[in-house]
Parts: sequence; C-alpha cells; structure tokens
Amino acid sequence: MPQQLSAKEQSLFRTVVRNYEDKQYKKGIKAADQILKKNPKHGDTLAMKALIMNSQGKTDEAFALAKVALQCDMKSHVCWHVYGLLYRAVKNFEEAIKAYKFALRLEPESAQIQRDLALLQIQMRDYQGYIVSRRSMLQARSGLRQSWTALAVAHHLAGDLAEAERVLTAYEETLKNPPSKTDFENSEAVMYKNSLIAEQGNIEQALEHLKAAGKHNLDRLAVMELRATYLAKLERKEEAIKAYRALIDRNSEYKKYYDGLIEAMGLENADHKARKEVYDEYAEKYPRCDAARRLPLDFLEGEEFRETANKYIHRMLDKGVPSTFANLKHLYTNPAKKEVLPALVQQYIDSGRSEINEEPKRNGDTSKGASAAYYFLAQHYNYYLSRDLDKAMGYIDKAIELEPVSVDFHMTKARIWKHYGNTQKASEVMEKARTLDVRDRHINTKAAKYQLRNDESESALKTMGMFTRAETPGGPLADLHDMQCVWFLTEDGQSYTRQGKLGLALKRFTAVYNVFDVWQEDQFDFHSFSLRKGQIRAYVEMMKWEDHLREHPFYSRAALSAIEIYVKIHDKPLTNGTNGSGDANGEDAAERKKAAKKARKEAQKAEREAAAKKVEPNKPIREGDSDTKKKDDDPEGIRLATTTEPLTDSMKFLTPLLQFSPKSIDAQIAGFEVYIRRKKYLLALKCLLAAAALDKEHSKVHEQIIRFKLAPDKDIEGLPAKSAEVIKSEFTLLPPSVNLSQYNDEYLSRNKDCARRTLSVLKVRKLLTPDSVGQCAKDVAGVLKLPTITSEEAQEALELLSSWKSSELESFRKAASGKWPKASIFKASA
Amino acid sequence: MDIRLLHPSDIPHVQHANITNLPENYFMKYYLYHALSWPQLSFVAVDVSRPKKTPYDYPRIVGYVLAKMEEDPPDGVQHGHITSLSVMRTHRRLGIAEKLMRQSQRAMVETFGAQYVSLHVRVSNNAALRLYRDTLGFKNEKVEAKYYADGEDAYSMKLDLGFVREQIMDELDEGDLDEGEPVGELGKLEDREKDKKAVVTKDGKKRKVRVGRGLGVGDLVEKNESQKA
Repeated sequence: MPQQLSAKEQSLFRTVVRNYEDKQYKKGIKAADQILKKNPKHGDTLAMKALIMNSQGKTDEAFALAKVALQCDMKSHVCWHVYGLLYRAVKNFEEAIKAYKFALRLEPESAQIQRDLALLQIQMRDYQGYIVSRRSMLQARSGLRQSWTALAVAHHLAGDLAEAERVLTAYEETLKNPPSKTDFENSEAVMYKNSLIAEQGNIEQALEHLKAAGKHNLDRLAVMELRATYLAKLERKEEAIKAYRALIDRNSEYKKYYDGLIEAMGLENADHKARKEVYDEYAEKYPRCDAARRLPLDFLEGEEFRETANKYIHRMLDKGVPSTFANLKHLYTNPAKKEVLPALVQQYIDSGRSEINEEPKRNGDTSKGASAAYYFLAQHYNYYLSRDLDKAMGYIDKAIELEPVSVDFHMTKARIWKHYGNTQKASEVMEKARTLDVRDRHINTKAAKYQLRNDESESALKTMGMFTRAETPGGPLADLHDMQCVWFLTEDGQSYTRQGKLGLALKRFTAVYNVFDVWQEDQFDFHSFSLRKGQIRAYVEMMKWEDHLREHPFYSRAALSAIEIYVKIHDKPLTNGTNGSGDANGEDAAERKKAAKKARKEAQKAEREAAAKKVEPNKPIREGDSDTKKKDDDPEGIRLATTTEPLTDSMKFLTPLLQFSPKSIDAQIAGFEVYIRRKKYLLALKCLLAAAALDKEHSKVHEQIIRFKLAPDKDIEGLPAKSAEVIKSEFTLLPPSVNLSQYNDEYLSRNKDCARRTLSVLKVRKLLTPDSVGQCAKDVAGVLKLPTITSEEAQEALELLSSWKSSELESFRKAASGKWPKASIFKASA
Repeated sequence: MDIRLLHPSDIPHVQHANITNLPENYFMKYYLYHALSWPQLSFVAVDVSRPKKTPYDYPRIVGYVLAKMEEDPPDGVQHGHITSLSVMRTHRRLGIAEKLMRQSQRAMVETFGAQYVSLHVRVSNNAALRLYRDTLGFKNEKVEAKYYADGEDAYSMKLDLGFVREQIMDELDEGDLDEGEPVGELGKLEDREKDKKAVVTKDGKKRKVRVGRGLGVGDLVEKNESQKA
C-alpha cells in the first residue's frame, strides 16, 4: 500500500516538481529528502528524486532509485513515467516506450505521458503506434489544428496518403470562416494537402486544388513550381510554357526550369538550333546569367559547339572566372569536345586576345586573360581524362609567372604534385598558397588536408587551429569534433591508418560514427517543433531523408576505413602497443599475446584513473549543467585497437553500410571480408553475389569468388544441412567442376592490360600454388611494363610485394622510382 | 551551377562548405532549425557537372545562404536575417553570392512579409562589404564591437526590402504571374505570428555568432512538463 502524504507534504511535493522544472536541482533534492524523512517509501517522491539526480548527471544512482520507487509503488504512473524518462535519457527507446505505456495504462488521461510516448514512437518509426497515439491526442484537443495535421502526418508517414488527405479535409470542414490570407499555418496546410493529392497521382485534381486554394498562398515559389510540373504532366503545353518562363524569370540559374520549358515547347532533341534559340533569348535578357550560356554546350556538336564554346570561354577567361574548367570538364566524356576546348583556349592565348581584354581590372588584377587561360590548360592536363602532368606543370608555372601571388594557381600546382604521387611537394606548395592569403579559411582547409595526406598530423591540426574557436576547452581537435567536421576526422583517421596508428585511426572513424548518431538523434525535437511551426512539408522531407541518413558517402568512407582496420587487426593482432609502427613481423604468437595483454592493462588503468577523476570530491558539479562533457577516458583509442573481437566490433560499421548502401560494391566487398573470416558463409555469399551483380570483372570480386570456392569443405559441411544446400545451389559464379587455375588464367587473358586485375590474378595464383611465389613476385614486378599502369596501381604492387616479403621489393621500388621520378611514394621509406 | 532551394538532405554538404570557408560554424541541428522553420529562405548553389563517383552521391554544394526570420523582433518589425553566406573560392566571380541573396530576399517578403533584412559582416571583409553595400544596397547600421569570437568587430547592416515589394507589385500589374490579386497582403503581415512562443534565447552577441546544438533548437524544445499533471 503506497504511503499517503499529509497536506503539508503534498505541497512540498509540488515544490519538488517545480524545482525540477526550474532546474533548481539542489533545492529539489532537499525538499524531496524532507518528505522522505517521514515517508521513506513514498514512490512518487523517490521517483522525482531519481529524475533530478539524473539531471545532475548521476545516471546509475538515478536508475537504482527509480527501481526502488517502483518497488514502493507499482501502481504509480509517476514512477513509470520517470522510469521511461530515464531510459529515454540514455537513449534506450524501446524500454522507454514500454515504461510510458505502463504509465499511460495507469493514467490514460495524462496528456504529458501520451505526448512523450508519441514522440518516441515516431522517432522509432512505430507508425501504427504513432497513429493510435495521435488519434487519442486529437480526441483530447480537437479544436487545435496541430492535432489534425499531426494525425495526417502519421498516416502519411505510414504510407496511407488517402487517409492523410481525409484527415486534413475533415479539419477544413470544421472551419466556419475561411482563415486569413496571412495565416501561415493555413497557407502551409494547403500546400501540404496539395502535395498529398499529387503524390496519389491525382494531378488534375491537384492542379484544380492549387488554382482554387493556392491562389493567395504565401509560398509563391512552391505554387509556381508545382503549377508548372502539373501542367507539364497534363500536357497543357501552352500554359506549361508560360509557367516555366515565369520560373526562369524568377531564377535563371536552374537547369530544371529550362528542361521543363523545352519539353513543354515540344522541341525535338535533335533540333539543336531551336533549343539553342531558347537559351539565347535568356542570355540576352539576363546579361549576367551563366546557365543560359553554358547549358547549350551539353547538346551542341561540331561547328555549332565550337562557336558557342569559343564565345563562352572568351567571356569566362576575360573575367578570370576560376571555375571555368570545373564547369566544363563534364563535357570531356565526349572525345571531340575534349579536343576542342583546350584548342580554343590555346587560340585565345595565340590571338593575343587576352591583351585587349575589356573587363576592368581591379587593383592591377592579372588573374584574368592570359593567366586565366594558362590556368585552364594546367587544369586540363591535370584532369584524369586528359592527363599530362609535365604539361600541366608547365602551364601552371606560366600562370604563376604572370600572377605570382594567386592562391588559386598555387592550389592547382599542389594538386598536380599530388597526382605526381608526391605528397610532400603537394603539401609544401599548398602551404605556400596558404601564406598568400592567411585570412581565408578555404585555403587554410586545403593546406591542412594536404598535410594530412602527407601524414603530418600535428602540423595539420596546428593549421586547422588557426581558425577553430580559441576558447573551446580541449583545443582545435575538440572544436572540430564539436563542429562535426567530418572531413577532418576522416582524413585524420586515414592518415593514422597509413602511419600504423590504428588506435587513433579507429578513434576518428568512431567519432564520425558518433556524429551520425547525433544527426539521427537531432530529429527528435522536430517531431513537436515542426508541428508548432506549421512547416509540415519540410518536416516530412526531413523524416524521409533521416530514414536513410547513413547512405551518405561521409558515413561510408569512414565505415569502410574502420572495417579495413578491424580486418587487419583480426589477421595480425597488434604487437607493440596500438599506435606504434605496427611492423613487428618477427615476434612469435606468445609474445604478441603478451603485448596485447599489456596494452589492455594500460587501457584499463587509464580507465580507472579517469573514473577516479570523475568522482573527485572537490570538483563540484555545477547546477543545471547536466550535460557537462564527460572526459574521454580513451583518447588514443587504445581500447578500440586492443579489442579481442575485432570482427564483432566491425559489425557496428558494417551493418548500416550494407543496409543503406547495398549498391556500393566497396560495401559488399568489405562485407565479404568480414563474414568469410567469421565463417558466416551464407552472409559472405550474399555479399559476393551482390558484388558480382554490380561488377563481376572487378578485381576484388574475382579474388573473392576463388576464395569462397576454397572455403574449407569441413566448415561448409559443419553448417546446418539447409545452409549447405543453399550455398551449393546459389553459388553459381563458377562453372561446375572448374579448374581454378585455368579459370584464373582466363580472367587474366581478358584483362591482361589492366595492372590492378593482373595483380589480382597473381594473388590468386599464389594462393592456389603457394610454391610459385617466386615466379608470382617476378610477375608482379612485371606489371610496371604495362603501358596503362598508374602510380597508384604500382603502389598496390609495391604493397603486395612487401606483404610477401619478396626479394623483388627493392628492385621494384627502384624501377618504379625511375618510371615516376617526381613521386615520393616509391622512395625508400625511412 | 544550379541555384535552388536548400533541402534537408543538402545539409551535410552545406555544413561542409561552411566549415571549409568560414570560422563561424554550426551543428547540424542549427541548420535543420533553419531548414525546418523557414524552408523558403535558404538557397544553395550546386555543382551539377561533377561526375558521380558512387550510386549514393549527394549534390556537391559550392555556395549557400542560410537565412531566417528574426523571432520576436525587438523593434516589432518583421524582418529577415542572414545567418551565414559563403561560396567556395574555386567558384567565385560568377555572381553566385548575389544570386543566392536575391532569391532569399524575395522569399522573405513573399512568404513572411519581411520589411527589411539584416546581417553582420567582419569589418575587414572587403569582398563581402562590396557585395552587400555596392551590389545589394545594404546600409551600415552600426559597428558591434568584438562581435566575433576572435575579437573582430562587425558591421551590422540592413537592407530595406520595400523595393522587392514594389517589384512584386509591378510584376503582378504586368500580369507576369497570371494569378491576379496581390500576393497575400504584403505589408500587413506584422501581426501574423502573434501567438507563437518565444524560442531562441538571445542572451549575448557571442552566442549569435556560433549557436550550437544546445543553444539552438535545444532551447526550442518545449519544457518537460511531465510532472505538471
């Protein structure tokens, strides 16, 4: 039987609640203790005390106390609600939902519990649960438009668009007077309803609705865009033409509008002349418009192309627009255009046209005209489809001669060095570019990136520190974490990987993983916020994006890098610490184990020390400062890298990767590597089949097909009969009873000009006949003679020889160094 | 280069452009706060000619304007504010910044009845000053001493949007938009948002420069009223 409070104590209890809401935690605890003195088993008070303690950062104690509270009073909705709030705070949403549901059963009328439950349900994408919650919230507050809109959104997200539309209409029918034209909530609700109608495919009806209800809508752009789209879909061409023209007049830099206009005009694709005229009209109407001048280059051919490109390039070079090459390079997939563009630039130089440049030059600016032309040619010869690095270097030096302090020109020079495979020179030149404009963060960013590529981790951080916030505790690195600077975390991690500092590398990749967790969590507040603001379409769009947030290449890149490290740790457990050179091949297994054990002990010690620091008595926790940053107790990532289960740990990165980026061949390849080592043959096969469907000739896929075939029969036989059966029937990538060596040779004969694929063949050959390693190594060295080999491929060959501890290594290094004399990657490492 | 509205899915690359170009950076949640509160006001410039590298490539953002309406304006006049604007240095001289600004200014008037737009700019940033003052017509309001985290002063600038309103009226007269009647009741929008709740706490200039997760939408969350009932 729960304890009853006296009137005085009841008032005290209300004080506790108020104190909590006002974040006066110390006062709240004091008042709660006063009640508990007389009523030590009063559940609600215990629960409130737990809630306050949680806000003070004492999570474990709060959970313990909340459990006591529940034992005292199982039938208290307050106790269950608090229990849910605690789970919510540690992001255990499933348990939180369960607790809220208990609380709601005890107190069905509580709007607050209902609301907390609903928000978690939508965060967890429990659409059916959310519909139930929103329906009951609507019943409680049916006068509020928000309540109706919320239910409509619930149906919409659950996929029932018709029902969503019905709910919106039902609310509209309750209105006695039409809302004011300036009622933003109404304006947005109208557009939301319109999008629902169109999404169901009722374009005609959507257009009618837009005409009637959208007439005075405050979101003009949306009305105009939708109108144009609907008219085009309904093939009401005259009106569609007008609608697209109105859009271009509003914003003449959006390709979609021109495409829409031309389609509505019914112009044939082949009718270049007519299409060009449309663009010309706008080029004339809008003298500063870029799109109308550039877009025709996409479809024009031959002499027409040359003429238009010539005009465009002249204009851009006269102005010294630095992105001229970047804006045209997509045309290089067309071989004729690839020839014409640099020729036009060369003509521009030869004609002396640059000298009579009419564009005004500000403060003796010489980055226009001739220097801009040389800059274009440098980028042309630096581009992978037209690469000739020596020529590129020649042109960029000419440009720099004319304009010695141009940041842009030096940036390109650094890029050329990068492509030479000389990260050191690249970093030096980029640093020089930085000093030409020390107040510009863009060039600062590039300088830091190039330092990371050259494995100058400390200098890079110092460079970044010139622009990070000085007062952030923890310095530049902490600021870059706070500001979710994903590119830096990823590049820093990849640099540490190259340096063999796997702990730090994993630390960075995990930081990226955590950034994505935060980005997912960030939606939470908007479930209620957006309804209050009334911006429904933007909210729904955000929800749909968040559903596949982790398909973002920012995530995949970090995840693939982390998985690679975990696989590496599995294959060769770390020996001398976690952030050493990792080059201790000679030690035996026992010694390795000892070293790993030592590293783990160090990590545990660091952990204990950090824990001790946390409870230092003379460091008061400031009130209201609930989210004081917890000190990182593993800043070097030692614990991450000394894991005894690297493959299990890699799953954290792999699972979202395979779920959200299944069409990424790199993801499938990484999946295979993890699963085959975990002896999960079915899953490995699934990845392999997916990868082969994307590109069966891929070098890694070729290796993996053979490696799968070689999976020990005894392992496969050990599987449940059904699994073994499935593997047998599904693994059809190899012809039955194939001779693997012959299969490998056939792959080679198809791909003998490709260095990377040749290397794969040799890897497989060594695997099939280990005795042939000597000949294989010689053949690896032989890939240098392939005419199309790139320096990156040569580097892969070098790494392969190194992993075989081949005697060919040094002579290969020398030969590669002779072939790429400007590259630093083939110089003997220190 | 496309100029178009900013969508939530653009945000990682907008954040990337921001931290590449500028010292004033924000958490993703602060971008979301803009994109979900005033989705009509923020625009991006997109490099559409970049070849795709993966099936999951997102459009690369080379410039953006992140804009908002002032919540509870102290002077009682509805107005917009430019939170952040930048263009990658590799994509300058194409007038991208100006084009982004003009799109945003127009939407401020159309959708939210803005009377003027304000912004802050470093006193040393000549290129930006040229754009705001000479090209767009902003006027210097005052100097805010030590506005930026590194101690630099800011010009507080303002642009009256009356000309945008007139331009819209003219277009309507010409019948460019075949919809008749003025858009909304331009100019009478001041009292529109009378029942909205106070949201962003603005207690100090420093915070305005770099509003973080905790200071941005974090403070917008309704107070936890769990125990009130």
